[in-house]
Amino acid sequence: MSATRSTPAAVVPPAPPRAPAVGPPAAPPGRPRQRSPRRARLGPYLLLVPALVPVAIGLGYPLVRQFVLSFQEYGMAQQFGRPAEWVGLRNYTELLSDPYVWGVIARSVAFCLVNAALTMGVGIALAVLMSRVGRVARMTLQVGLLLAWGTPVLATMTVWQWLFDSQYGVVNWLLAEPLGMTGMRQHSWIIEPASFYLVATVIVVWMSVPFVVFTVYAGLLQVPEECMEAAQLDGATAWQRLRYLALPMVAPVLLVVALLQVIWDLRVFTQIYVLQRAGAPTRETHLLGTFIYSLSKEFSMAGAMATIMLVITLALTAFYIRRMLREEA
Amino acid sequence: MKRVRTSGLAAVGVGLLLAVAACSGGSETGGDSGDAEVRLWLAGTDTPQELRDYLVETFEEQNEGATLVIEEQDWSGLVPRLQTALASADQTPDLVEIGNTQSPTFTYAGAFSDITDMVEDLGGDQLLEGFVEAGTVDDSVYAVPYYSGARAVFYRKDLFQAAGVQVPTTLAEFREAALKLQAAAPGGKPNFSGFWFPGQDWYNGIAWIYSHGGDLAVQDGDTWVGALSSPESQKGLAEVQELFADATRAPRDADSAEPWVPFNNGEAAMFSAPTWARWSIDLPECNKGVAADDESEQAKVLLAEQQACNEEKTGVFPLPGEQAGTPATVFAGGSNIAIPAKSGNQELARNLLEIIFSEEYQTMLAENGLIPGNSSYADALGDDVYAQAARDAALGAKLTPAAEKWAEVEGARILEDFFQQIAGGADLAEASAEADQLIADTLN
Repeated sequence: MSATRSTPAAVVPPAPPRAPAVGPPAAPPGRPRQRSPRRARLGPYLLLVPALVPVAIGLGYPLVRQFVLSFQEYGMAQQFGRPAEWVGLRNYTELLSDPYVWGVIARSVAFCLVNAALTMGVGIALAVLMSRVGRVARMTLQVGLLLAWGTPVLATMTVWQWLFDSQYGVVNWLLAEPLGMTGMRQHSWIIEPASFYLVATVIVVWMSVPFVVFTVYAGLLQVPEECMEAAQLDGATAWQRLRYLALPMVAPVLLVVALLQVIWDLRVFTQIYVLQRAGAPTRETHLLGTFIYSLSKEFSMAGAMATIMLVITLALTAFYIRRMLREEA
Repeated sequence: MKRVRTSGLAAVGVGLLLAVAACSGGSETGGDSGDAEVRLWLAGTDTPQELRDYLVETFEEQNEGATLVIEEQDWSGLVPRLQTALASADQTPDLVEIGNTQSPTFTYAGAFSDITDMVEDLGGDQLLEGFVEAGTVDDSVYAVPYYSGARAVFYRKDLFQAAGVQVPTTLAEFREAALKLQAAAPGGKPNFSGFWFPGQDWYNGIAWIYSHGGDLAVQDGDTWVGALSSPESQKGLAEVQELFADATRAPRDADSAEPWVPFNNGEAAMFSAPTWARWSIDLPECNKGVAADDESEQAKVLLAEQQACNEEKTGVFPLPGEQAGTPATVFAGGSNIAIPAKSGNQELARNLLEIIFSEEYQTMLAENGLIPGNSSYADALGDDVYAQAARDAALGAKLTPAAEKWAEVEGARILEDFFQQIAGGADLAEASAEADQLIADTLN
């Protein structure tokens, strides 16, 4: 559950420990092979332990527990001591035979793909812009992005909620007063699912773009100047240099950022939850995150749904993960 | 260069895992309930400090060596917090306040101790009836009423006069008054509401269902069925829909929170809220411009004047029922109090419960504007218009159905969605049938 509840846009990967995925080093040539080959092979794995233990405790345990729960009947009564009954696949069949659940899944996947694509598009565009403009403009952009990113989710949400408030919101006021669209004076932006998702998309993209911009910008800085210059001399236009030179060179970065966006946008929770509480019709606007939370009184159901979501996430990202693993090899 | 990038890539992956792992590491502050430390969880800020002090002093006086710690819990998210805390002997409080509509969920789960033998002592038949019911399973009582607060209607006297409207004495008259105020729109504000009635406000809306004899859900043998489609409920809902359409301009995406904001802005002639809303009324013509942090004597005088001015321009009445002179059956808000089954201090918790139901403490609750759990002390509420309105409204007040899983209906926001649909002009019969189905699916 914890994974679905944490806020996607605000999670900042901390400074990473050194690459654990690097394979066992080949024995250096010239060294006699028979000298404690086992220790040489074990060493790197031992170094993995400090990283693996917290992951196993923090992520593995809840995951296993969720998995086990999803095959039981486990609610409030069980938590207070009644024995939990094994029900096999009942939770899954019940969920997957409900057309409403499929609706939620379809909505979530669509929302996730649209948001991830928009975020990537806007993010790359801004990153390119940042690498072209002068110092002052770049600093302004960076500070602005950093602020948008650094503001706590709930504070951001409160501001957006005020902006789109149907009675006293600035957006409606702007539309009605200076622009003369008097019909928008009391317009509710979140009462129709379509416009609810529009508002949610604006907010989610707003909060995820800075991460993409900074990462891609850092990647672009690594593109060797001489390559670009050579291309320019050969008569490549700016667009061609970007499309055929810079972007392919930072492709690994784009790949991992896109992967993260897909994962984050699929389990988006806070933004949707807050907007729902602001007065949207709850049932019609559930996405996977909020839907699982709404099931959480029946832990077993929530567990089953979370497992289904995990499968969807893996399916959506299989392509990326396969490619990533191939590059590691 | 590629080497650097790809290993960085993996590193980001692990970093992400660590970040996710860190998220799940939220720890509860485990309270070590030693031999003689009793922990009481109060919900929200409704219990004033003076009452808390009284509890601590009296309890520690009567129970040598024992200490009482009062911890305040926020209403929002209370259910999930109790869900985890009550299930653990290490973390559970020894006495806990819980929303009346939430208590069946926990009593059925076996989270509370049986206190049937104490009921007679605590007030017997004088205890608020619906609340005891919400805390009872199979004739055993697990939770008893702490206090109740009923809703009353606040109105602007000047706007009533300008529109030529009298204080209504029946529900039908209330409807007429609201429609007339809406049509007259005295004060000339755009988006004026005769009666402030936002689209998700089912707390106020169910008064019409209850007053016409309808219900949200009824028990049929072992199963619960939604009752919104019953003829009685439909009659009430038809009136609700008319009010939504022709007596209010409140947004459909708002709920019962802070109804005094539009009222203070002159954008509404009436709103319905618990009677303590009187302290939130702040009409511009009465405002003395005292800074919020000004604590001088002069400021206090000005604030008192301001309050008097506000209360002079505002009136209050209990929502009237179908017959003149009777109050409508409104929703009874309030809370229950119970002893968690896993608490290691059962005896001490019982002693504390007795103090809470003592004449002195019940009287103090009433003096602070709350209807006390033992209704025989409700006289201490006083005689002003607010106390009278509160008492009249509470007389007929009714709770949500005492179903084991009612809290889930609220958690799923089925009624918010339903009232919003009605406010949007949805077909009554169709929307009701759909909501009934959802309620039944959730409760069974």
